[in-house]
Parts: sequence; C-alpha cells; structure tokens
Amino acid sequence: MRTAVRLESSPGSPRLRSRARGERLELWTETVGSPPPVYGERWAAFGARTYRAFEPVRSKLAAAIVRDWRGPLPAPAERWLYLGAATGTTASHVADLLGPDGRLYAVERSPRPFARLLNVAERWPNLLPVLGDARDPIGYADRVPLVDGIYADVAQPDQVALVVENARLFLRDRAGMVVVALKTSSMGRTLGAPAHLRASEAALSAELELAPSVRLDPFYRSHYLIGGTRGRPQRADGPRPLPRRPGKEPGRPGRSLRYRRS
Amino acid sequence: MRATLVVAHAGSVYVLSPGTPPRGFELAKGRTGGPTAQGGLPPAALDALRNADPGAPIVVCGQELLTVVASRLARPVGLADRTAWHVALGALPAPEPRAERAAMLARARADLDAALRSPEELLVSLAREEQRFGRSEGREERAAEAFVAPVGTVLADLDRRWRQVRERLTEHHAELDRLLEAEARRSLPNLSALVGPRTAARLAAAAGGLAPLARMSASRLQLLGTRRRPSPERGPRYGAIYLADTVDAVPDDRRAAFARSLAALAAIAVRADVLTHRDLSATLVRRRDLRRERLLRRGR
Repeated sequence: MRTAVRLESSPGSPRLRSRARGERLELWTETVGSPPPVYGERWAAFGARTYRAFEPVRSKLAAAIVRDWRGPLPAPAERWLYLGAATGTTASHVADLLGPDGRLYAVERSPRPFARLLNVAERWPNLLPVLGDARDPIGYADRVPLVDGIYADVAQPDQVALVVENARLFLRDRAGMVVVALKTSSMGRTLGAPAHLRASEAALSAELELAPSVRLDPFYRSHYLIGGTRGRPQRADGPRPLPRRPGKEPGRPGRSLRYRRS
Repeated sequence: MRATLVVAHAGSVYVLSPGTPPRGFELAKGRTGGPTAQGGLPPAALDALRNADPGAPIVVCGQELLTVVASRLARPVGLADRTAWHVALGALPAPEPRAERAAMLARARADLDAALRSPEELLVSLAREEQRFGRSEGREERAAEAFVAPVGTVLADLDRRWRQVRERLTEHHAELDRLLEAEARRSLPNLSALVGPRTAARLAAAAGGLAPLARMSASRLQLLGTRRRPSPERGPRYGAIYLADTVDAVPDDRRAAFARSLAALAAIAVRADVLTHRDLSATLVRRRDLRRERLLRRGR
C-alpha cells in the first residue's frame, strides 16, 4: 500500500521533489505511469499526486542530482531521446520528469531487456520504446523526430562519439541539451578515469557549452555525469542549490552528506 | 543548397520542397518496415516528386527509400547525408501523439518478435528458462521436505494437492529439457557431443548468443556461468563446464585439470559449430576420453 509522505519541492524540475532523511537526501519523481513498480521502487502519495522514489544507488541521474548536478535536466513537455534504456529503470524516471505532455524515445539494442522496457512502456503513456542500435541512428530515424535533449547511458568505449552522432541527427539546433552518464572503466584501462573524463569533455565541448561535470562517487565507481546545452551553458532558470540541512557547510555535498549502499 | 528532400517518417512519406509547406503521404496502414515492404511509394507522393522544382536536386533520406524512388523516377536522385537528414527531420510536422504511440508500440512489438525468433535466441531463451526452472524446483523440493502435515487435517489435504502441482512442474521441466537438448544439438552439434547438450546451451546463454561464444578463448569458456568465487582468496571455478556431467564422472582432485582440458576442446568445438560448420565431434570426443584416461592414470 502506498504511504503518505511530506516532500519538498526541488530546484531541478517541477516534477521532482526531495525529502531529507537524516543525512541523506531522498529524491522522488511524480509518476506518469501506473503501478506495479518498475523495479521494486517505493511509491508514495503527497497531496493528490503520486511519487516514486528515485534512488541514487539505482540510477546515475539520481546520483548526479544528489551530487549537485547543475547541467540540463528533462523538463515537462519536452521531447528527449534516451540511448541505452535497458529495462527502463532510469528511463521511467526521465519519462516522469517529462510529464504527460512530454515524450521519451527510449532506444535499446538487446532484445531481452527491451522486452521488459516494452512492459514499462505499456504503462507509461509518454515512453516510446525503439529496438535499435545507438551506433546506427539512421536505423531509427524513421520514427524519432528532432528532440530537445538526449540522455545517454551506453557504457561503450565509443559512447561519446555515438552521442555526438545522435546529437547531429536528432538534437534541435537552438538550446538542445545532452546528458551523458560516463562509465570510464568501459572506455579502456590504459588511461585513468580523469583522463577519460577530460577526453570526453573535449569531444563534447565542440558541440555544446558544458556544465560542470559531476563525479558519481560513492554510488558508482569511476562514473561521471557530463553534458551541456547548445548555445547556453546552464538551465534557463540558473543553478539553485539543492536543499540541505541547516548548519552544514555549503557546496561540498560529497563530504557533508554520508551515504550507505542499501 | 536548395533541394527537394524525401523522407519516410512515422508511417508517412514526406516531400519537402523549398518554399512550400511539407506534404505527407500515408503509407499502407498496419504494416511495419520501410516503404519497399509496403509495396512502394503512394502514387500521390510519386506525382509530387515528378512535379517538383526541376532546378532543385532531389535528395532522399535512407538507402531503402532511395532505391524505391530512383526506380520510379526519370530524374537523378541523391542520398541524404547527416545534415540533410537533420534538416528534413526539422521540417516535419509534429506527429499526432496517440497515433504515434500506437504505431511505436506496434513497431516495437514486431521488432522484438522478429529479434527473438531466430534459432539462436530460441536456444538462449530455452537455456535461461531451464536454469531458472531448475533453481525454483530445487527450492520447492527443499521446502516440501521441511513441511510436515498432521494426517487428516486441512494441511495434509493442501500438501497432497501441492504435490500434484509439483509433479506437473516436473513434467513441464522434462518437456523443457527435451526441447532444449534438441535445439542445442541442432545449433551446436560438436559442443553438444563434447560437453552434453544442456551444458552447451548454458554456455550459449551465458555468452549471450552464438557469435560471442565463438569469439571466446578457452579460458573464458571455462569460467562462463560462474556465479561467485568460492572464497575471497580463490578465483571463480564452478562454471557451466565444471558442472557438466562429463566432469562430474572424474574424481574430485582431477576435476579442475579435466575442466581446463575440456574448455580447450570446447573452444575448438564452438568455432567448428558457429564458423566452419564441420563435424569434428568424433575426434573431439576421442581426445576428451583420452585426456580423461591419462588424468586418471596419473592421479593414482
């Protein structure tokens, strides 16, 4: 049964809310879809609306928001392209952030995870699944329109190159947004994580004005969230700090907030 | 450069001429796939292309559509590069949300069905199902052993009926096994002869398909299907090959060595099955048995 919770509004998105639990910050997204839960996440009612727990240990995007990501986030009524949607854990939350008037085109290559993504799509009216290879964007260009943003979580050595390919084809020219969850351990072992991050930032900065990248420690080892916007560096409403407990030193969320893997 | 762009998108073919609004021509409803699969272009789209500005070149998005257009049109046509694609996508009208969703879901279901239909995917599906089923069956058996019902009570009645259900599950498992073994013998004949069809199927499932399996070294094959390390100090060991019936017949202290040899032969068998399609099974089985005999002699 759904419990009732008290949630604070969050600066990232009108459909994102947060709640301080001790030293941890919980994130919740207002659901677009109907139950059952996608991956066993908690559902809760706040006022007349239903929210789903968006946990940093399950989703790199949630980890980045907790780690003070100032870059672009999906906003209501936008169209986004999601590369590497897998079974739809993060994709369902991105769809939540886009709201009922938004559209999420979720691309996944392997059929078995895609079967589960399709199940989620049946219950999420704004999630449109595409069985296709993100390396071959022409393959799904007959279904995907120009989008406002691209979120990529592909964990491949050429992940940044394939995001750039997709951006050139599908991203709208003015203020198009790109967010990449970078797994540096999939990009080769001869360079360290910071070197991979610098190379990826350099490749993306040719296309975008980058927001400050965030490291996803301690939730994900040697992962980063990088991204930015065409023509403008940050969200139109500008960065606002995430709510945190009074008396804590501001600007160092990684040190002042302690997390445990549950 | 001004060009007339042709693009197929969301079930329609669009003709985008410079200076005029985009015109869309619906492709046959209820079908999936590109325009060639749908009996060519709609006649109205062809007319629009014939009447297009002769001064602007015609550029078509996608090789498949290009073939269709070029075969029906007297003028030379070009293939769109990425920039032309981007321009074409930007000029399209926004799709009607409900129709778009219905079409995307239908296409996704059809694509998934086609992707899972191949013999390779069938083998992987069966192997995973069999493994999952074996685990849940074992759990059920252990739970049943621990359950004691006093004679003549409701519990005893429940227990009896639950035993009937378990018997049906066992039948289902046997059926699954038969299908799996037949499928493995068909897709991986050499490997099935060498390590047994069920182990062969488990290897394919752990590798995620036949092509990745054929690219693996013997050492990778030996560890496929391992679920955890026996202890923090020791490496993983109990993979699909170690748990094969042929290894089971070897004494404990010789099993690891035999598994290693078997993995080396398995690598040869997989390549023959997937790449060259030769029948090496007799040779491989002979080498396997020879190796086992030597191991047993040296061990005593």
